[in-house]
Amino acid sequence: MIAYIIRRLAQSFVVFVIVMMITFALPYFQQGGTLAPAFIVLSNHASPAAVHLWGVQNGIFHPFFVRFWDYFVQVVYHFNLGFSWKQNESVWALISVYVPRTIWLALISLIITVVVALPIGVVQASRRNTIFDYTMTNFLFILYGVPAFLLSLLMINWFVFQSFHLPLPPTDGSSLQIFTNPLPFILPVMTLSILNLAFFSRFMRSAVLDVLVQDYIRTAKAKGGSQRRVLFRHAFRNALGPIIVILGLSIPALFGGALIIEEVFNYEGVGYATVQAAQFNDLPVVLGITLLITVLTLLGNLLADIMLGVVNPRIRVEGK
Amino acid sequence: MTQYGELPTFANAGRDEPSSPTNVAVESAILPLWRQRLRIFLQNKLAIASVIYLAAIVLFCFFGPLLWHTNQTNQAQALFQTQNAPPSLHHFLGTDNSGYDELGRIMFGGEYSMSLGMLAGFITIVVGTIYGMVSGYLGGAIDATLMRLLDALLSIPLIFLLLTLITIFPRTAASLIIIIGSIGWFANARIIRSDALVIKELEYTQAARAMGAGGWHIIRRHVFPNSVSNIVTVASFAVADAILFLTTLGYLGLGIPSPATDWGTMLNNAAQQQPFYWWQVYPLAAIFILVIVAITYIGEALRDAFEVRLLER
Repeated sequence: MIAYIIRRLAQSFVVFVIVMMITFALPYFQQGGTLAPAFIVLSNHASPAAVHLWGVQNGIFHPFFVRFWDYFVQVVYHFNLGFSWKQNESVWALISVYVPRTIWLALISLIITVVVALPIGVVQASRRNTIFDYTMTNFLFILYGVPAFLLSLLMINWFVFQSFHLPLPPTDGSSLQIFTNPLPFILPVMTLSILNLAFFSRFMRSAVLDVLVQDYIRTAKAKGGSQRRVLFRHAFRNALGPIIVILGLSIPALFGGALIIEEVFNYEGVGYATVQAAQFNDLPVVLGITLLITVLTLLGNLLADIMLGVVNPRIRVEGK
Repeated sequence: MTQYGELPTFANAGRDEPSSPTNVAVESAILPLWRQRLRIFLQNKLAIASVIYLAAIVLFCFFGPLLWHTNQTNQAQALFQTQNAPPSLHHFLGTDNSGYDELGRIMFGGEYSMSLGMLAGFITIVVGTIYGMVSGYLGGAIDATLMRLLDALLSIPLIFLLLTLITIFPRTAASLIIIIGSIGWFANARIIRSDALVIKELEYTQAARAMGAGGWHIIRRHVFPNSVSNIVTVASFAVADAILFLTTLGYLGLGIPSPATDWGTMLNNAAQQQPFYWWQVYPLAAIFILVIVAITYIGEALRDAFEVRLLER
């Protein structure tokens, strides 16, 4: 097991370095070359000398691999993500402000999604091809076609302006407001949960369906287990494996969904910060946030694999 | 699919079901394979409804303007109209916040959303298919390298990659197609690769190799035709995803620049007034969501039609 974890860690590190290279190489393709951000940082009318000086200060003129190596050492060895070009802060300082807001938002809605989606999936699977199953499937299908921004727009219109008159979340402030003052966060959390609901319950349905045809389910039924006992004690537990994996793998989607929600609800989380930084060509911030989310994603995948290895020892052998 | 249609029926029946050719029923021996698939597809009422709906929307967007004449490009002229006017006999769906006729705007924006989405989806399929097949067929060190690269690309949340790319490149219709096309193929490549991995070990592929067929020939004549089912299914979802991406970008204010428009940009304009005017959101939202749902249904039905186990035998 230890060897397996070490091997997966090494693999993840390689992937991380490749991501770093891709994101680091992208600005080379932008209009006006790598010096383009200088005009945003200094001003539109910066003199050529000032632009050149900025380039020298930021090491723009070094070859790609020298620059990449410098950045790599700073990130991996010193944990230094650099300094924002636009805002007068280090990237870490910005991240430590923005990321917790998103993480709480995403985490709470993930918990709600799972708690709601799993029973729906199990009941759908156990009443396969009934009216309930068809209705639910088609409803979730339509839900799946609703883009995040549209759902947020409709939710704001219905629950803020037409009924309930819920308050909208504050744009900034402590990330823990979501616990101390939960009322304004009901809408964004609900929206994010509904968006993920379709995917999770559909996945749970197929996972349970796969389990229901197994021999041990027939055995459990033959031994006189009640419908409910067979379903929740035998089928549900064995279907949890795929769900663990999908939880680990859903981290990028969760951040992606949160990005749109934050934009529409005007809540300054990591997605909002990325959109802002991207609009101002604030490269260190975009790179830093992308790398951070990549690391979270890779950790999620790793945890999913390890959990699966714990649950199902056969995987450890074949995973190479 | 036509490549199955020309072939003799017995060859077809044996082709997809090499293990149990004796099971093939008399009826399916008469019907060519593609007819069987068409029949399974046509049994799915929702899929037929989806195809009819999509065709209707395409007709509506591309030929509607011939019947419903509206100004959609002249901003100065539009400003003479009442802005945010409710539906009337003159404007069936009212006007938007620039004074453009909303019904005509839905057609006009739909032309861009549909054509750009389909082109971008097409790119993701072509790139994903080639990448997946080459990786899966070649195997070994090349496969491992290509797959690690794919792992890396898959672990960056797509929307973040999209935002980075959109700020780097100029915002034109062509670059939107290329940007969405270049980020959508990662998952497709995965699926196609796993298909190629299976097919290259099958007996007919090995027979071809034993007869001296080259790698490119095997990919083109054996691996590709036999994974067409997966490619077609993946393609329909890819188009839906591409349209979704395009619309999301439009909503974030990063869509096609004026005077052109797309459905996302239209919704962004509608959201400028809160609470919004219902005629600027609900008709367009319903059309848009149903387009996505219809494409997804067609994808599901195609998957069923290509599922060998469901064929009559």
